[in-house]
Amino acid sequence: MTAVALSDPVVGELRRILGEPYVLTGKADRLNRARVPAPFPVHRWAERMPDVVVMPASTEEVAEVVALANRLRIPVVPRDGGTGLTDGAVPLRGGILLDVKRINQIKEIDLVNRTCTVGTGINALKLNEVLAAHDLFYPDDPASYPCSLVGGRIGTSGWSLIGSRYGHTRDLVLSFDHVLPTGKVIHVGDGIGGKITKSSSGYQLKHLFMGHQGTLGVATEATLKLFPKPEAEFSPFWAFEDYDSAYRAVGALARAGVATFAAAVLFDEWKVDYLRRDDEAYIPQPSSVKALVCAALYGYDDEVRAGGRRLMRIARDLGARYLGDEISQGDWAARHDRYATPLHGRTRAGQVVPMSWHCEDASITYANLPAVRLAWHEIAAELRRTSDVFDDWGMFAYTNGSTGADYLTEIDIGIWERRLDDASWAAWVKAKRDLAAVALRHGGSISACHGSCREGEVDLVPEELGGGYDIMLAVKRELDPNNIMNPGKYLLDRAYS
Amino acid sequence: MSYRYDREMTPPPAERASPVAITRFAHVFEVDPALMTEHVLQQVFPNWDTLRLVRSRADHLAWMHRHFAHTVISGEELLDDLD
Amino acid sequence: MFLEEWRDAAYNCFSSGHKFCREVCPVMQVTRNESWSPTAFHANVVAMEKGELEVSDVAADYVNCTGCGACELRCPNSLFTGDFYRFRTRTVDLVKAMRGLAVSEGVHQPGWQRWNRLTDQNSHEPVLDGVSQERVRDWADGLDLPVGGETILFVDCEAAFHRTSLPRAVARMLNLAGYTFGLMNEQWCCGGPAAEMGYGEQAQRFARHNLDDWRAHGVRRVLVLDPHDYITFTEDYPRYFGEEFDIEVVLVIELLASMVREGVLTPHVPVERSVTYHDPCRLNKRKGIWQEPRELLRSIPGLDFRDVDRVTQWSSCSGAGGGLAIEKPELTAKISAARVDKALELGVDTLVTACPWAERPLSEVGTIGVVDLHELLAESLGVGEP
Ligand SMILES: Cc1cc2nc3c(=O)[nH]c(=O)nc-3n(C[C@H](O)[C@H](O)[C@H](O)COP(=O)(O)OP(=O)(O)OC[C@H]3O[C@@H](n4cnc5c(N)ncnc54)[C@H](O)[C@@H]3O)c2cc1C
Ligand code: SF4
Repeated sequence: MTAVALSDPVVGELRRILGEPYVLTGKADRLNRARVPAPFPVHRWAERMPDVVVMPASTEEVAEVVALANRLRIPVVPRDGGTGLTDGAVPLRGGILLDVKRINQIKEIDLVNRTCTVGTGINALKLNEVLAAHDLFYPDDPASYPCSLVGGRIGTSGWSLIGSRYGHTRDLVLSFDHVLPTGKVIHVGDGIGGKITKSSSGYQLKHLFMGHQGTLGVATEATLKLFPKPEAEFSPFWAFEDYDSAYRAVGALARAGVATFAAAVLFDEWKVDYLRRDDEAYIPQPSSVKALVCAALYGYDDEVRAGGRRLMRIARDLGARYLGDEISQGDWAARHDRYATPLHGRTRAGQVVPMSWHCEDASITYANLPAVRLAWHEIAAELRRTSDVFDDWGMFAYTNGSTGADYLTEIDIGIWERRLDDASWAAWVKAKRDLAAVALRHGGSISACHGSCREGEVDLVPEELGGGYDIMLAVKRELDPNNIMNPGKYLLDRAYS
Repeated sequence: MSYRYDREMTPPPAERASPVAITRFAHVFEVDPALMTEHVLQQVFPNWDTLRLVRSRADHLAWMHRHFAHTVISGEELLDDLD
Repeated sequence: MFLEEWRDAAYNCFSSGHKFCREVCPVMQVTRNESWSPTAFHANVVAMEKGELEVSDVAADYVNCTGCGACELRCPNSLFTGDFYRFRTRTVDLVKAMRGLAVSEGVHQPGWQRWNRLTDQNSHEPVLDGVSQERVRDWADGLDLPVGGETILFVDCEAAFHRTSLPRAVARMLNLAGYTFGLMNEQWCCGGPAAEMGYGEQAQRFARHNLDDWRAHGVRRVLVLDPHDYITFTEDYPRYFGEEFDIEVVLVIELLASMVREGVLTPHVPVERSVTYHDPCRLNKRKGIWQEPRELLRSIPGLDFRDVDRVTQWSSCSGAGGGLAIEKPELTAKISAARVDKALELGVDTLVTACPWAERPLSEVGTIGVVDLHELLAESLGVGEP
């Protein structure tokens, strides 16, 4: 398929649906919606421009736009916060970029059933500012907490830092209005949806319409599960003299079965080295500090204290040194908007350079963390050996759940985007494929949170899903007969050949 | 409290804090300026601006704690309980 | 020139692109239009460098900024690492520079062009009909203030011509404290607004006039009551004049707070109102000044003061700044309405501000009383407007 050039009648029709100010055709309007934070060669930026941008304000408007696009076979790409790290919100075939940020109203706060219903253009931090007045809390807490939006959380089926206590996006979003690729509107949830949190009625479709990266339609209004705002927080950080001790400790903490346990994170040697570059907490640490672990607990004061004491004892018995309240509290508070700041980048000679942040985010079982870690760092080292364009920023492993089975395993790689030419881009795409292959080889999944539709990694998705991938193709073909929803993602063109 | 050009444009003397970092203000680290001479050059940075950012960061982090929970529990206290 | 100066800073954001700035931006909050986000303001520079965009393609987008500074403070490249690298995000300066580039290439915004032409003609902003050089000290009629001296009070155009009770309150409080000050010999607009709207040559000409006037008359210290002037004098003037700018700049709020702290002034007349405080963006976000106004409010007896912390207020703005109110008043109105709504949720009857420019749009919302902090304090000191 080639890009569809949009004729003036289409723009006119869109203006009729949405009103003049909400149909944008300027080049800057389109260029600025052709990017996400994931590194990409700057000289190829314009390849991903949409032909027109629309800013609908309601489910009905979204449905009308999508129906029009389906009728005229024009690609539609949903975009919310534009913070996604797998290029989901970036058009590959031009067409209509459907920006849902204006659909951001709080429709209802139901204090009795503890839910709220919101437009999917809303941000969780902003929502929580309002919910705080009721002492309530929506705990979907990615490191992009202040900038990702509910629609993008649904589109990616996102991962939350405190998901081991509260669940992830899929658990927190109860149901939503969804515009199918034909323009038909359905309500998706367990069974009848609405505010029901568990149903066995029919197929369980909610998962299907989350994490599809906008290839199956657009969520416009969502009902979310709310919790009491926690009374107390506890976020200890510990230092270790080697990775193995830290690895043992994080496992023991996660397996302890403490009910208020919300997260544990393991920082490896590369990550500690990287933090020593510019992080005020770690610059002054003695060189014997090689690895770190932190945990987070939320709940009532008494239960957090009891659980906290248990975890403090476990860590101490495993040789951990508590880093003190100041570092523990300061560092945890920065995790909700973890700063991917470009000046962390260094040339091999040590000079500061601005680098983009690539975050590889596989899900790996606890047992396989050490092996994946070494294989991944080797891939990063190979890149670094050939070029200053790449920099290994170290690894984190975050608990996915409360039992400590598997971890969001993250390697952060700095990429000097400004110097990213075709050759280094090709090297990077190969490296991404290699990183994904390591994850699969170790029984892991290519992505715990962002999705896996970027060049390189996406090649391995059919292998990861096996027979499930064929079902993906069948579903796509059935729901989107004309391949208009975010075409080109997840190799879904195969559904039509 | 008031602004004076000479006062703002003269940073306190630097002390080395690590192979790659220095300090000028108490408990505030800065990159070794020698590392920012080729690809990114440092900006003119009056003292008020450094202090504004340091204080705003502390305020922001405290705000984040309050945003997520009403109180923060001290690990030092819990550690004392263990003995 | 422009690209050379801004390229590195632009790439610093471009290669981040995470948009932590979005939800604190007053314009983004009410428009949700990504073309007007801080991220886009930086990315456009990269696109210009790559030959994808011209200044004429984007000049109108750069109108959509109040210069409040929320984005650049909230940006992790400032908040977390700006001081470390001595390199921070400077969206506000970039917006000014882009507006300046537009003007220099003949791309004007009609409202701004007219505003600055009139300012040039009258040496003051056309905040009202009849603004003129002869009338710049009219606000002080009957107060017996001397002209000249080592310390002068600089009164911004809005306060000097439109919100005259505000500088009068300030003058009476300083007199009450026995603080010696005079009025400026020939005061012109500070030039800050022209600089914000892209008329850089005019801005520097006005700045030159004011500095020369101060030096010619032995002025060593300038008191300012307007946060916008405070920014102009502590950021623009030092940039224009370097070391030559050896004038001390004092913010009146800080001076008053120290007077209250030291017992020189003691508010004693009860003011029976329930109030919340609107942090002027240029004080709270751009200068980190937020404690002193709260200190003053807490010193006023009778006041039921329901505070909203400074970090929450990074997301608030009156919408008045950066020339937005001149070129897009409807957008200013939306931003100020959103600000007032937040105040109303607290159940207060009064919104206190400390910025003359914020007061007009906030009052025009019409649903809450808007009072200036200086005037409120004067009332409690027993020297309010009779
Ligand atoms: C600094 C940083 C830290 C991050 N940390 C995390 C983390 O901890 N956990 C995590 O999960 N992610 C993280 N991310 C990635 C990103 O924030 C998430 O993927 C997020 O869910 C994307 O939300 P968004 O609103 O920005 O969506 P976008 O980027 O706009 O869109 C993401 C995808 O969803 C689709 N989409 C958008 N809106 C809709 C809709 N209404 N209906 C259907 N599909 C839609 C898009 O087409 C796209 O494919 C991080 C990103 C950054 C920059
Ligand atoms: S201005 Fe800062 S927060 Fe906003 S996108 Fe750029 S780097 Fe990120």
